[in-house]
Amino acid sequence: MYASQSIIAALALPLSGALFCLVLPRSHHVLKTIVGVSAVELLLALNIWAAVLGPKGFVTAADQWFYIDAFSSFHIVVLTLVFALSSAFASIYFTHEADDLVFTTSIARRFGVLWLGAQTAMLLVLMSNNLGIMWVGMEATTLLTAFLISLHPSRLSLEAMWKYLIICSVGIAFAFMGTLLAAASIQSDGGIGADALFWTKLASAEAHLDPTLMKFAFVFVLVGYGTKAGLAPIHSWLPDAHSQAPAPVSAMFSGFLLNTALYCIMRFATPVRQALGQDFASGLLIVFGTLSILVAAGFIVFQRDAKRLLAYHSVEHMGIITLGYALGPLGSFAALFHTLNHSVCKSLAFFAVGRLGQRYGSHEMHTIAGALRADRLWGVSLLISLLALIGVAPFSIFMSEYQLLRAAIGAGAWLTLFLFLAASAVVFVSALRHMINMVFGTASRHDRGGRDGKLAVPIVVAAAGLLIVLGVWMPLPFYHALSSAAAVLAVRP
Amino acid sequence: MPAPGSLVLPLCALILAPLLLGIVNRTKAVIAGRHGPPLLQPYWDIAKSLRRGAVYGEVTTWLLRLGPVGGLAALAAALLVMPFGGVGAPVSFSGDIIVLVGLLALGRFATVLAALDTGSSFEGMGASREVHFSALAEPALLLALATLARVTGSFALTPVYQAVAIGAWADALPTFALVGMTLLVILLVENTRIPVDDPTTHLELTMIHEVMVLDHSGPDFGLIQYAAALKVWILGALLAGLVVPVRSGSVWLDGAAMLVGMVLLAGVIGMIESAMARYRLVHVPQFIVGAATLSAVAFIIRLV
Amino acid sequence: MSPLIETIHAVGLLTCFALLATSRIGACIRWLSFQGILFGMVPLIVHDDGLTARAMLLAGGNIALKGIVFPWLLLGLRARADFNREVQPFVSFVMSILCGILILALSVWLTQEMKPALAKAPFVMLDSSIFLIFIGLFLMISRRNALMQVIGFLVLENGIFVFGVITVVGTPLLVELGVLLDAFVGVFVMGIAIYHITREFGSMDVDRLTELRG
Repeated sequence: MYASQSIIAALALPLSGALFCLVLPRSHHVLKTIVGVSAVELLLALNIWAAVLGPKGFVTAADQWFYIDAFSSFHIVVLTLVFALSSAFASIYFTHEADDLVFTTSIARRFGVLWLGAQTAMLLVLMSNNLGIMWVGMEATTLLTAFLISLHPSRLSLEAMWKYLIICSVGIAFAFMGTLLAAASIQSDGGIGADALFWTKLASAEAHLDPTLMKFAFVFVLVGYGTKAGLAPIHSWLPDAHSQAPAPVSAMFSGFLLNTALYCIMRFATPVRQALGQDFASGLLIVFGTLSILVAAGFIVFQRDAKRLLAYHSVEHMGIITLGYALGPLGSFAALFHTLNHSVCKSLAFFAVGRLGQRYGSHEMHTIAGALRADRLWGVSLLISLLALIGVAPFSIFMSEYQLLRAAIGAGAWLTLFLFLAASAVVFVSALRHMINMVFGTASRHDRGGRDGKLAVPIVVAAAGLLIVLGVWMPLPFYHALSSAAAVLAVRP
Repeated sequence: MPAPGSLVLPLCALILAPLLLGIVNRTKAVIAGRHGPPLLQPYWDIAKSLRRGAVYGEVTTWLLRLGPVGGLAALAAALLVMPFGGVGAPVSFSGDIIVLVGLLALGRFATVLAALDTGSSFEGMGASREVHFSALAEPALLLALATLARVTGSFALTPVYQAVAIGAWADALPTFALVGMTLLVILLVENTRIPVDDPTTHLELTMIHEVMVLDHSGPDFGLIQYAAALKVWILGALLAGLVVPVRSGSVWLDGAAMLVGMVLLAGVIGMIESAMARYRLVHVPQFIVGAATLSAVAFIIRLV
Repeated sequence: MSPLIETIHAVGLLTCFALLATSRIGACIRWLSFQGILFGMVPLIVHDDGLTARAMLLAGGNIALKGIVFPWLLLGLRARADFNREVQPFVSFVMSILCGILILALSVWLTQEMKPALAKAPFVMLDSSIFLIFIGLFLMISRRNALMQVIGFLVLENGIFVFGVITVVGTPLLVELGVLLDAFVGVFVMGIAIYHITREFGSMDVDRLTELRG
């Protein structure tokens, strides 16, 4: 109920929260605001999800300018969940930094504004029906998150920010080019007017889209948004940005920003499949997905920094999700399931590494040793998240990867299957080796101790619980939700 | 109307070529506030050189004697295919664009061989610079002429220049403008004017063309001076033929218009020489490649 | 109108080559400004319905932003950071020009591929836009100076703007102004970033930003 109003509220709330953060007097006020806003957002998102899963199948607002179907509502729920978890973690993480006098009030305010502003922009991307507005939202996320990376200006963080800014700005420009080409292609049908770029129009069976233009449009969009999604070979900003940004920001990047970009690509994929048939879009997606997995596997082997390791894991998992989208309805189902699993798992991993990094003073893997003994809570969460990331049963990532394999076999994509399994094996071995060094072993002398706030346990329990529960049991409503989301991506006859 | 077989045009070129150099020098002097040498001074210089005796170094061979003669012969042969705006050349066949560029290259080759034959390091340095810049300028010239050929639809110089009338200019203004700029730059490069080379310098290390001919004397030097004038005439005719689109059909009118154009061109060269300084040697390749780019752009624009 | 479009095309191509070949940053900024004004006039002449209010708004906005505001911002950035005023390229100037010619051939080929589907767009403007996009990309890759990378980004935006103007007739102004917004905010943000970088590193030499590897 009140679904349309929820949409407007869900956009207005973080925006006003961001502006509110500008005037708050203390850093812990900012942190509390963030946690509060994210919690309410999560509730609003669940409300919208429930409405979408009702009989109508979608929710609109503002005269169809906002359109939420099963695909977008699923992403919105994942987004708000990750944001809620990350905001809660941010309050713990930055409270410790404030103890060290590093997290000043002005930095806190800047963080609050950028953080909530980024959330608004991402929600705008997910909720918008107009592909042009979607692009504006992605552009806004690039510009806002760039300064989140260099929240604490230093040589390395500035370098990471500059690389991110330049590479992603070029990517966004290319994506805009693709959007223009899509608009031109629907124009050739005579469809001009304010709603020409509405996804509902482009994806409907009646739209006659020019095939050549849609081909070029998809290539530009794939390369453009793929830059933001971390697909190889245009992923080079990813390891630097993730390793230099503060841990909550890295969690948000991996947990949600990459998925938003993939969402944009898939929004374009449906009209392209409509106009050109399955093979063109799927072929390109398979190429980029497989390449991402292979490149990431190669780099994971010789990583020394824990956050860079997680960043390359993100590249790998984004590749897996892309691969899933290319492998038909079953693959899309697996990809969507994987989106949720990876977001939660990666966030947990970043939380653990971030907190442990704070304790040990560095993120280098040889410094973080014996985490299990030093800090029971975050050591266990590091163990769980890293095991889950490499696909160990009974965690949910194993389930989603298994379903992906089934989809690949069903689609007959043997070469892809072989490459995927080979890369996964490499990742399994190297990441396991890194994990064992970090979690077990003698506790490092660099440990600085420190107790965590009361939100720490709920965060870990929620995240780990989700991973374990979904690994063994898929609730029927959830199954229906994923199926309807996958159905959105399928070509209508 | 072209008069194939008629040698009047080459004869006029042979007689009038040194006058261009005189105009250039006079313009430079006037701009500098001096009175300057007489317009016919190049003729007297050539005559003076021809009257002198020649001195040949002991290490030189027949290549040194061949150099000036070969250069002049090549340029005189080039005059046979060179149209003068609307006035046709004595010899015209499809592909004579390449013949023109080839004859220019042949003349350069003879001069360079003679320079290397002297065994002196100054000449060697000049020869290497000369060849370096021509390696860049020759493609530029070919591109410019190819663009003209593409626009007018013919591979022979006479029909190409016949077609460059006012109507053609209105049609292809950007293309002709770009080609004209390229031809101007090539004119400056091939004739060793500023900003590529300073013809009045007396410092050997800064010379390019002048230093190649240091060891020539007497009649040889006279022939070289005369050949330089012919080269200015030929390349100037290429440019003036493009820029002066008078194609009335009457030989006298076209010829007169072209003569006016050549005189103005010589004045422009003089003004350029007075206004600019010589580029550093490392910047000259950029300059020439930039000119080649202009033609390449004009060519690619016309491709579609 | 066709000779005017062809002249804009030819001169626009030349501005790109000038950007590839110029060695001083101030001169590059001035070429960029000239290019912005030149291509800002495209909305006024490219469509048959001539000087509509929308076309004038687009043209005016683009000329103001790309021709005046951005170059002014960039010159201010250059003045604030005390460093080498020469462009330091990875690829030498002569090689850049030759690459530019190759890119021109590539863009002509691409335009020929796309042209049948875009009947209303003038061929030369389509070619210009694709060429601008690739040259902007090339400038960003081949130059070491952070300011030159921003200039390359603006050339890219110019190309996208021209493309948008000639192909998309009916969609609302919102999206086309999105380009200008993108460029404006992008330049602002990049400017702030450059300011921070210069303060921290003492130079805008992007080649020095190599500590993060692997």
